[in-house]
Amino acid sequence: MNRIHKGTSLYLTAVALIGLPLLAASGSAAAQTTATSNPATNFNPPPCDYSDQFYQDNGLDPTQVVGRFGTARRTGPPATGSQVNWVADSTCATNDPVRRNFRILATTGGFSDNGTTAPNQFISILGFVTNQNAFESAYTRKVGGSTVSITNSDNPRGEAMQDIVSNFEAYAMVKQRLPNGVFATNPCNADMQSPLAPPTPCFELNTVNAVFTPNLRQDWRFASNRNAMDGSDNNCISDDTTVCAGISDSPYGYFCDDLLGMWILTYVWYTVDPANPGPTCAPVLQDLANRNGISLDGSPIIITSTDTNDDLEGNGCGAEGQLAVDGSDGGAVWLVCPAIPDPRNGAIAKDAFLDSVHLPNGKPQNPKLTQNFLSLQKTGQFPNGGDGS
Amino acid sequence: MGPDGTTAIGTSKMIITGKPVNRRDFIKQAAAGTAAASLFSKRALASQKTLRILKWEHFLPDYDHWFEGAVHDWGAAHDTRIVLDKVPVEKIGAAAWAEVKSGRGHDVCIFPWPPAEYYQHTIDHTAIYAEVAQKYGAIPQLAYRSTFNLKNRRHFAFADFWMPSPLHFYQDYWGKVGMPLGPVHYGALRSGGRKLRDQFGIPSGLAFSSTLEGNITLHTMLYARRAWLLDGHGGVLFDKNMFAFEALKYLEALYKESGTPEQLTWGSAGNVHAMLARKTSSTTNAISLLRMAEKQEPQVAAKMLLQPPPLGTAGMGITALPHVTNCSVVWSFARNPDGASQLLANLVDLSKAGYEKSLGCNFPIYPKTVPDLIVRLSKDATADPSYKYVELKDALHWTPNLGVPGFATPAYMEIFNSSLVPRMVQSVLRGEHEAKDAAAIAATEMQRIVDKWERV
Repeated sequence: MNRIHKGTSLYLTAVALIGLPLLAASGSAAAQTTATSNPATNFNPPPCDYSDQFYQDNGLDPTQVVGRFGTARRTGPPATGSQVNWVADSTCATNDPVRRNFRILATTGGFSDNGTTAPNQFISILGFVTNQNAFESAYTRKVGGSTVSITNSDNPRGEAMQDIVSNFEAYAMVKQRLPNGVFATNPCNADMQSPLAPPTPCFELNTVNAVFTPNLRQDWRFASNRNAMDGSDNNCISDDTTVCAGISDSPYGYFCDDLLGMWILTYVWYTVDPANPGPTCAPVLQDLANRNGISLDGSPIIITSTDTNDDLEGNGCGAEGQLAVDGSDGGAVWLVCPAIPDPRNGAIAKDAFLDSVHLPNGKPQNPKLTQNFLSLQKTGQFPNGGDGS
Repeated sequence: MGPDGTTAIGTSKMIITGKPVNRRDFIKQAAAGTAAASLFSKRALASQKTLRILKWEHFLPDYDHWFEGAVHDWGAAHDTRIVLDKVPVEKIGAAAWAEVKSGRGHDVCIFPWPPAEYYQHTIDHTAIYAEVAQKYGAIPQLAYRSTFNLKNRRHFAFADFWMPSPLHFYQDYWGKVGMPLGPVHYGALRSGGRKLRDQFGIPSGLAFSSTLEGNITLHTMLYARRAWLLDGHGGVLFDKNMFAFEALKYLEALYKESGTPEQLTWGSAGNVHAMLARKTSSTTNAISLLRMAEKQEPQVAAKMLLQPPPLGTAGMGITALPHVTNCSVVWSFARNPDGASQLLANLVDLSKAGYEKSLGCNFPIYPKTVPDLIVRLSKDATADPSYKYVELKDALHWTPNLGVPGFATPAYMEIFNSSLVPRMVQSVLRGEHEAKDAAAIAATEMQRIVDKWERV
């Protein structure tokens, strides 16, 4: 996504200037680290889990992060066969002091929500949050002469982490076809159910496993309302509305406010059976299928916000919703899955693997996503030096 | 009409002369009665200009007291006799129409919403914006989209402040159902609200009545669920997709599971009184609600928190319409249009004082007038904790204008002021209509209103 890449240019410059000496100095001691043979093109360290302290500094109790990489889920989805989702890596905290020494290999790919349909988004699903109580209500840590604090759930700026992260939506498309072959048109969570479809048969969202890759019908989609702190993504960072007229003005910056890279999970589903969509939805689904292809369920793939909002929801063919924030639904309400600011120049390590949806025959559902990943992994660049779109 | 040419519709009226009046004279004047006072005024002030102002009563009386003094001072400085009438917010529309119909009355009328339907009866306020721009910059988007008529390319009003509509909720109540941080999205508002009523008998307190509060709440909830009334060009969009039906079904479920019948019948500020009495768990309102709590019962206020509006659906994000968009019009039949225009331009200079005297309710349209707004929100002298109001720091980002995604058009504002949306919702919640039918009926009425204004 161009916006993200432009927006991170300063970040990368800073990393290049500050990180190079560190990498060079620690090179000999980092025997178990990533293959960084050419620092000139490999200066962007791959993602690692955050330190406990960083979680706490940002208002989240690390002990309540479900399935946290580095502690749990070493094997199993998204890893398959002999793959592992994360490895110990002593350079993590060296490259970035807010990280702990577990490097993430499972690199989840997805679509940008900005209308480009580009499969060039890469994130690390570090863990899941299932309950509002995971957000700290009180926390204090002395740092030199200052204090990092969470008081009554608010950071020193008076902002609750929950409020910040709720500005950023990740869209999960869970399989709706049940093991018996029936296509369920509503989730089983009563508060989420759409009035457009019967409450049963329904598909379950009652554990975090519901969003594990084998349970997804297509790859993820991520909201593109992210802004760069330097304004280079054309997001307006002024409080003067005359300055911001006509310019994207997301109140929070993903890369500067949402430091844990958290998202609120929005589940999107079809309220009609794609095999029998009815006269209103049939042309809608046909058009979507022609544009985007078919998911593992037999339903059309959804890529953009227009697909979701205007085509599906606007015509009564689909719906969306979030789980209860008190944890009563049991599933994932939020994700701790920081987007990789810029996946080029080393961010995709040689031993990382792409977490994406595959067809029954083992081929990737979205070959372009795989191409982007492999190119980044091998050369540090998107194919042909482009932006992966 | 009153003896001085003003309409006697207000619950309160004050006549302020531009000449200094000492306390003894003032008391004598008051004791002698209205007629004598009027005669006194006419004799002494025959050469003065007069400026007549009609305004809606602010939610906080102390603000109006300050406002009266401010216009008094302005009158003194401009050798102008000020006549200020106030009416309850629910009566300002009728009062304004009465003046338009008779072609006489006040010079200035101040509304809590964009008075777009009156555009044929007002001066072009563009010059006022131009004058203000020299000090505070170009017209901000919220003011522009709230006061500009696309048909005649004129500003039918002048906006100087607005009020955000955050969610107010009792932290102790919501903590009982595992949501001490509040319901962050509409799904949580429903599920948490249901548990609160089922387990503790505390209903939701959103206003669904035909009041300002009900209108703003319901217009917001429809918009946040993409059930737009009009499109960006002013055409009817409501019920031309499935969002209207879904939004009404959501409201129906929310009301059945967590509501109370009082929500449909509350009068003006009924939701505020219910919250102050701790009879309800949450509501959306201007922060005058929390300010009242702080004044009346600080221990109750300490339990009440603010939150940005819940996360909408269908890509709408976090959004809420302004509880108030303070818009002043100078009538085309004003007898002192120059003085009226000058007053409006000068009132912007008092935005900072207005913010303070309204206890932070009145957010300035021109941000430069209160440049340290976020600092003030972060360290409030009354709030417990002091940073409680910082939840509003991004309010301008999540507050679009009434009429969004278009402008505040005459048609949209007639839909608003006729309480078409609350009436539609009430018909569903009372079981008088199915959601689908109610949406269709409302859409037909919206089309009639749009057609009417297209013919004008």
